[in-house]
Amino acid sequence: MLRHLTTTILGQRLRSAVGGDVLRRMYHERVVDHYNNPRNVGSFDKNDPNVGTGLVGAPACGDVMKLQIRVDEESGKIVDACFKTFGCGSAIASSSVATEWVKGKPMEEVLSIKNTEIAKHLSLPPVKLHCSMLAEDAIKAAVKDYEAKRSKSNGSQDAEPLGKAADA
Amino acid sequence: MLKKKLCSSSQISAILSRSVTSTNFSSPISISHCCNSSVFNSPSLFSSSSSCFFGRAEGKPFHSGRGLLFPTSISNLTRDNASFLRNENLFCSLSKSAEKYQCWNCGANAENSTLFLFCEACRSVQPVNESTDYFQIFGLGREYKVKVEELEKTYKDWQKKLHPDLVHSKSQREREYAAEQSARVIDAYRTLTDPLSRAIYLVKLEGVLVDEEERITDPELLAEVMELREAVDEAEGTRALNEIQVQLQEKLRYWSNSFEDAYLNKNYEDALASIRRMTYYKRTNEEIVKKL
Repeated sequence: MLRHLTTTILGQRLRSAVGGDVLRRMYHERVVDHYNNPRNVGSFDKNDPNVGTGLVGAPACGDVMKLQIRVDEESGKIVDACFKTFGCGSAIASSSVATEWVKGKPMEEVLSIKNTEIAKHLSLPPVKLHCSMLAEDAIKAAVKDYEAKRSKSNGSQDAEPLGKAADA
Repeated sequence: MLKKKLCSSSQISAILSRSVTSTNFSSPISISHCCNSSVFNSPSLFSSSSSCFFGRAEGKPFHSGRGLLFPTSISNLTRDNASFLRNENLFCSLSKSAEKYQCWNCGANAENSTLFLFCEACRSVQPVNESTDYFQIFGLGREYKVKVEELEKTYKDWQKKLHPDLVHSKSQREREYAAEQSARVIDAYRTLTDPLSRAIYLVKLEGVLVDEEERITDPELLAEVMELREAVDEAEGTRALNEIQVQLQEKLRYWSNSFEDAYLNKNYEDALASIRRMTYYKRTNEEIVKKL
């Protein structure tokens, strides 16, 4: 069912995107691959304390990208990742690559993933470089969100014993 | 000093007139380009001849020239030709008040100095003047609200005069002018009919450019857009899609008005914010249209 969902989301876009561009330039086969074999499309529960959600957008092209990570508390490693992107083929492929690359890595390490690496992997043309930038931003935003959640929950944990102590 | 210059230039005036005809002198674009070179070389000469050639500056006052920007359009003039023309400025034949263009074909003065696409006297198409903005082509001021039906009428009227199909029997030169003018009018029409492109163009005229590569993290806006796009994706059936479309039209109307307010108050930050939102809604609408 997920596959059907992803192919309907992506299929239409691919048809129109590739159809329009085929005269001038082809999408690199890796980009097309991410279309035909979408991986990690989906959603995690936003309210899950182990999930970090990064939501970024490129208003000039009307793109919006959501990248979510599930982090293992103890090891600080990203155990799962998923994305949902509405935009051009390059944006979708960039975020797809991003989810693949962050899986299994510690959070600090994924912060060093650079858009240039993603762009190189997908052979993105210059006009599409900002799509890879968006993916890099999404990773960072997801990590930041997770950290913010964690510090908030830690903060309230610290506050509680204090409150109890004050009561007692 | 002036007299001396006069003598020396009388010899070259003959050469000058030859170079003038060959370089399409009456084109306002080339005129301003030659004055460009003269500005940097002789500011004192320049001030005396300013009024001859400055129709192009759209009525802006001519102050010592150095700070003025010239449109960077192509010109056939080389530096050498330009130096001849520089001397010509001293005894230019155009009267001081005539900030008008002349038809390249019949020499008639343009009735309207800001809008000269077509000469009524000899019915020939004029070269493109880049400084005429899209609003001027349609006889409008720089305002956001336009009457789209009137745009269409004006557009058709222009095409009746400028369309390349009407100039098959005319000279190569005029056919080229027709192709360029017609293309420009089409561009102007398309830009002005769509509210979003009109908005982007309006602020561009004020020097405010929309950043093509801008990335945002505004959670509220992005969450809203995400929701809308997901709704479009999951919607089954025309009715559901039409419902979303109605919502979108509503939002577009709201932000259109917001843009207009911001623009009138010269609040370009808010104007850009409105443009961002309109872009997102328009994009979502396009997806709906694709699905329908």
